[in-house]
Amino acid sequence: MTMKKFLSILLATTFAMALACGKGKEISKAEDEGEDDQEAQTTTTAAEGGTAATAPAAAAAPAVADAATLTGLVKFESAPPKMPAIRMNADPYCQSQHPTPATDEEVIVGAAGELANVIVFIKNAPAGPAPTTPAVLDQRGCQYHPHVQAVQAGQPLQIKNSDATLHNVHAMPVVNSAFNEGQPVPMTTTKKFDKPEMTPFKIKCDVHGWMKSYMVVLPHPYHGVSGMNGTFNIGNLPPGSYTIVAWHEKYGQQEQNITVAPKEAKTVNFTFKG
Amino acid sequence: MKPQEPIPHNYSIRSLNWIFALSSLALLLVTGIMVGYDYIRGWKWFQREFMRMQRERIEGEIKAADTAENKKQLAALDEKTKQSEVEIARNRQQYLLAQKDLDTWEGKHYAADQDYRFAKANLDAQRYVAELSVVQHREDAAAQQAEYRRQDRHVNDLLLRLQDVTRRRDGSKARVDQWLKSVKDAEDRKKELNASVDLYKKQLELVNNQRGSTNWILNLPMLDFVNPTLKIDQVVLSDLFVDVNYMHVPRVDRCQTCHRSIDTPGFESKKEAARLSQDIQQKLDAFQIPVEKRADAEGEIARLKRIEDAPYDTLNPWRTHPRLDTFVGSSSPHPLLEFGCTSCHRGQDRATEFGRAGHVPPNPKMQRRWSGVSMLTLGFFPLERDFEKRRWGWQQNPFLETPMHPRQYYEAGCLKCHSGQVVVDKGDRITKAMATVELYGCYACHKINNWRFTNLRKPGPDLNGIAEKTTPEWATRWIAEPHKFRSTTRMPSFFYQRNMIDPHVVPAAEIAQNIKFQDAEVHAIVSYLFAKSTHRVWQAPPAAGDAARGQKIVQSVGCLACHIESETIKDEKSGKVRLARRDDYPIERNYGFNFTGIGSKTHPGWIYNWVKNPKAYYADAPMPSLRLTDQEAADVTAYLVTQQKPQFMQMPVRPADPKAVHALAKGYLINTLTDRDAEARLRSMPMQEQLVYLGQRSIEKYGCYSCHNIKGFEGLKPIGTELTIEGSKSLHLFDFGFAHEYVAEQDGKHEHIQHSVPSWIYNKVRNPRIYDDERTKPYNDKLKMPNFHLSQDEAQLITTVVLGLTKDLVAQNRLAAQDSHSRLMEEGRKRVSQHNCRGCHVVDGTGRAIKATIADENFLPPDLSPEGARAQSPFLFNFLKDPTVMKIRPWLSVRMPTFHFDDKEANTLVTYFAEEGRAAQWDTAHGLTPPAQNVAIGRQVFAMLRCAQCHQTAPVNPENPPVPNVAETTSLAPNLTLSRLRLRHEWIADWIRRPNEMIPGTRMPANFPRDAATGGFQSPLALAIDMPQFASYKSALLPLFKNDEKELKRTMSDAVALTDYLRDYIWSIGITQMRAASPGGEVPAVTVTPSIPAAPAPAKTGQAASSSQLAASVEKR
Repeated sequence: MTMKKFLSILLATTFAMALACGKGKEISKAEDEGEDDQEAQTTTTAAEGGTAATAPAAAAAPAVADAATLTGLVKFESAPPKMPAIRMNADPYCQSQHPTPATDEEVIVGAAGELANVIVFIKNAPAGPAPTTPAVLDQRGCQYHPHVQAVQAGQPLQIKNSDATLHNVHAMPVVNSAFNEGQPVPMTTTKKFDKPEMTPFKIKCDVHGWMKSYMVVLPHPYHGVSGMNGTFNIGNLPPGSYTIVAWHEKYGQQEQNITVAPKEAKTVNFTFKG
Repeated sequence: MKPQEPIPHNYSIRSLNWIFALSSLALLLVTGIMVGYDYIRGWKWFQREFMRMQRERIEGEIKAADTAENKKQLAALDEKTKQSEVEIARNRQQYLLAQKDLDTWEGKHYAADQDYRFAKANLDAQRYVAELSVVQHREDAAAQQAEYRRQDRHVNDLLLRLQDVTRRRDGSKARVDQWLKSVKDAEDRKKELNASVDLYKKQLELVNNQRGSTNWILNLPMLDFVNPTLKIDQVVLSDLFVDVNYMHVPRVDRCQTCHRSIDTPGFESKKEAARLSQDIQQKLDAFQIPVEKRADAEGEIARLKRIEDAPYDTLNPWRTHPRLDTFVGSSSPHPLLEFGCTSCHRGQDRATEFGRAGHVPPNPKMQRRWSGVSMLTLGFFPLERDFEKRRWGWQQNPFLETPMHPRQYYEAGCLKCHSGQVVVDKGDRITKAMATVELYGCYACHKINNWRFTNLRKPGPDLNGIAEKTTPEWATRWIAEPHKFRSTTRMPSFFYQRNMIDPHVVPAAEIAQNIKFQDAEVHAIVSYLFAKSTHRVWQAPPAAGDAARGQKIVQSVGCLACHIESETIKDEKSGKVRLARRDDYPIERNYGFNFTGIGSKTHPGWIYNWVKNPKAYYADAPMPSLRLTDQEAADVTAYLVTQQKPQFMQMPVRPADPKAVHALAKGYLINTLTDRDAEARLRSMPMQEQLVYLGQRSIEKYGCYSCHNIKGFEGLKPIGTELTIEGSKSLHLFDFGFAHEYVAEQDGKHEHIQHSVPSWIYNKVRNPRIYDDERTKPYNDKLKMPNFHLSQDEAQLITTVVLGLTKDLVAQNRLAAQDSHSRLMEEGRKRVSQHNCRGCHVVDGTGRAIKATIADENFLPPDLSPEGARAQSPFLFNFLKDPTVMKIRPWLSVRMPTFHFDDKEANTLVTYFAEEGRAAQWDTAHGLTPPAQNVAIGRQVFAMLRCAQCHQTAPVNPENPPVPNVAETTSLAPNLTLSRLRLRHEWIADWIRRPNEMIPGTRMPANFPRDAATGGFQSPLALAIDMPQFASYKSALLPLFKNDEKELKRTMSDAVALTDYLRDYIWSIGITQMRAASPGGEVPAVTVTPSIPAAPAPAKTGQAASSSQLAASVEKR
């Protein structure tokens, strides 16, 4: 073997090694975590004599061709607990608004055992665009109206003080940013929760200890709240398999798995026990 | 010609040729191997890989910059340029005319400019001539002067002409520019749009290592000696030394050679990227980022989001260092160029091979992976292309004095500079580690000579009065097996441990003997303690207590900030009820003992007197007084007495074997006596005396006196090894015995002992007798360190601290928190930790362990985060010494206890708070009187905002304000007339503006919410002032603004002004007098005196209180 040949082989080997080292590979781990981190928008306006528009809390869902509807009844099986009257003597204004003392709104059960104020929502429905129609939380007669509600992430929430007294809105979400703002006069503050928050959180008034409201923030419009007759109604639902959740502030959460066919009018009932 | 005679040789040319040929071939081969080996060195592989990654990322950035939007804009600009060019072409004639006009004027301008300059030069010459002619009294002086004036006028004329021409030239130029402007603008904008992409492309060129590229050629073998781009990267740290046998050499950290992007963002792991973006988002939400920097912050979030969304995750060693704002980053407190890597991480600073740099695997699994050797290679250079399959051929280097801290002990590196701190900023783990060492009182047995672990209290209670508190029967069982009595106790187990009775590691024949010896020692210690104890009698409660009421008191006044009430806990994972462990609760709640079984341990009289006045039992008792009334104390006693643990008292106790006592006692005696004398001495001692003697020697042997005050052992040195430089001890000085693995009895986890210092320490604290396994040792030589029953995490925390205690040299200027401000803060923090303030309060952002036991968060003790800026120092001093001087929230059931601080201690705390709030310690605002007009405006604003809805404004007695009579006490807030005594003047307005930012989650609403866009404060009164409901306020306010409605409205929208008015009003209604702290810190309602003073009781605190104060305090309760 001549020297030249040997050298060229050696060089060739070195090059081969160089090429071998040249290209590696990064290990990929699929990990998806995405959140829309927008600022909570705040605007404060004074309501002219409290005439702000009262829009329905649940905004119209985008129309779906084969949409199904869900209706149902929430029943309470045990003997309804007697709710105490609220003592509003801390604030004469509040007292003056209730000639007969208001009762605590924690558990409201109808004559035939219908349970009101249960938030019913789909846990795993696809996210939809946020409606521009605002949801409204009204402080009237030193009570929250509605007592519980579901809003959609990104949907404006008008917080109204219809009372001639000081309220402070102390929202205590965990995922979204919490806030605590005073409303010394009849006025409306507009807030927005940007991220879905499936565990309902409390909104309270520190001035009036009895005032409590609960809210859940969903990524989609498929939710309802049981009324005084215990019924709820979720419309415009695209067909598919879902987990439907019913949540009550005292009696906790229940889940059911359902499948809805196109254009089906489905009934889902829930029963709570004390 | 005759052929030349061959020259005769003594050797064969032919074979020599062969030898030369072969050896030169061999030399070439070796050279080739050398070059080849140099080419494939490990660090080069890392650098090549890194260049590839950079390329990928830059390409990603280009893609991101090269968005559709960008492209659309560029296309539009091209279109515009084209249109303009067409426009110019269409009107070519006019354009050319304009251009020609400009050329003419340019020429004229040049000529005029020249004329002017020459004339001016001539004028200067003429001036000289004229001056000279005057000075020399020449005849033509007058003529020369006249000539000068003439030229001066001429220059002036020329200047005017030049100005005129310039103006017209500019006009002409503007007309031409008009034609070209649209083209030029489009070009500029295009450049701007392409700038970032161009920059990226330049960067891309720098990291391009593809075949055939410049970089590739520069790095070829043999060519790479000229100017390679793959280079060893190093930081020389001239003032951080490495100790190499009697010489200190500067550190030269070459870690960056492989850890390429350690100081540059962009290579974060996904987890880190998520954490960082969350951090920035939080800051954005809280308005901590100035308006002009918000856009940058949002850009940063977008960048991190791209990392989170990328298909790959960056692995070590290419990752960016986590938390660049704290470590390594150039603007962080630890910049790479100043601190390097090995000053915190340790390791071999100059090494560039993975195996030699001192990397230490955190666990056996990792060790196995690292030490794998590739068959193909020589072991230390891997060839595999796939990262996961590469083998590192790692070997432990037992001669390396400073191997790196393994992953779970990274924070050990902090201690080198931060041991002068109680709370390390952003160092939660090291802070917790130091707190854990303090909690377990490691410093009591092991001297740790640094600021953090000196001047601390003995962790155990005083034992000189043990006979007053409990019985020998209880004490015997307790000393033998404390964990059987309370699963959460910090008293460690000394007896019947692994090296005494475990049949797997101790020969069966030895066990029986060991048990007898241990029994004897337990009895002996109890005998000694009771023989030396005082015998004061603690009288039973004067009134019968109610246990149910007592339980309520215990749960509400604040006992549960330091004590745990139950020994069982519901496991969060399995949902089953199990025995509680200490780390089920925050550190603060482990401060006091668990109430379980207290009734079996002691008697009502002792409990009653203890809760009334702990200092009466022993002066150093850490328990403060909660100022319970006699009835309350009786109730609490009744409740605690019900906490019985009968099964513990029924545990069989073996009596001390006289032979064992004899043998052990003799073992000590023959150290100084002959065998015969020792026997004689023992014969002369009755059994009890022998026990007491053995007890004394056993307390000495086990070091009980290190943690407890015991008569006869005053001033003795602590029992354990000094740990001051334990982290620097060489591996060969640790005795690993024969132990390899074991199952931890506390949680059933398998532990493996690696042959490394961290592993030795970890397993020592987790299972202190482990290194006695299979050893043959005399009884008294066996390991004595007691078992603290630590969990994995606790053991790791303690190991972190011990590893951090090194003898590494640190320049004085590198030590953390050495300035006077920090020293004052840290002294205070040490007190805060010692008195367990965090049990109730949030201090330095953490604490309030009591929260778990108070259902309604409206009734929690206050958050002290803003206390320094909030409270006036004189008030705080007074209040700390004697909390009865002011009741701020009288409706709370939880009480601020009396700690009996002396002036010095109270001052340390007050100074700490003032320093933390960066406030003047003795502020002068106290005597300030606000202007009457401000007060009047403030009063109206106060009414309009309805502050009185929650805050009372009627003057009250600060010592005993009445609880406002409302059904809902949750809405009550402090009486504002107390503010002037308590709050700092400048703080009040600030608080009203941004309560949520000072104390997140506070009930005080933000009445002036921030504008989300600008961060400025908005005022709800700006609009409200015109509402009919507010007409009366408006009419009251107008005169105060001289009826200037515009000014009134401006003020009503100015949140800062409004809060200042509110502050002035609040200041004006404040009361200005309060009682000084009573000398003892409190006024006990009824003096407790032991009936038979067998030993002089410690001086009573508060006895000096006058009878009138006494009466007042009774009335108050």
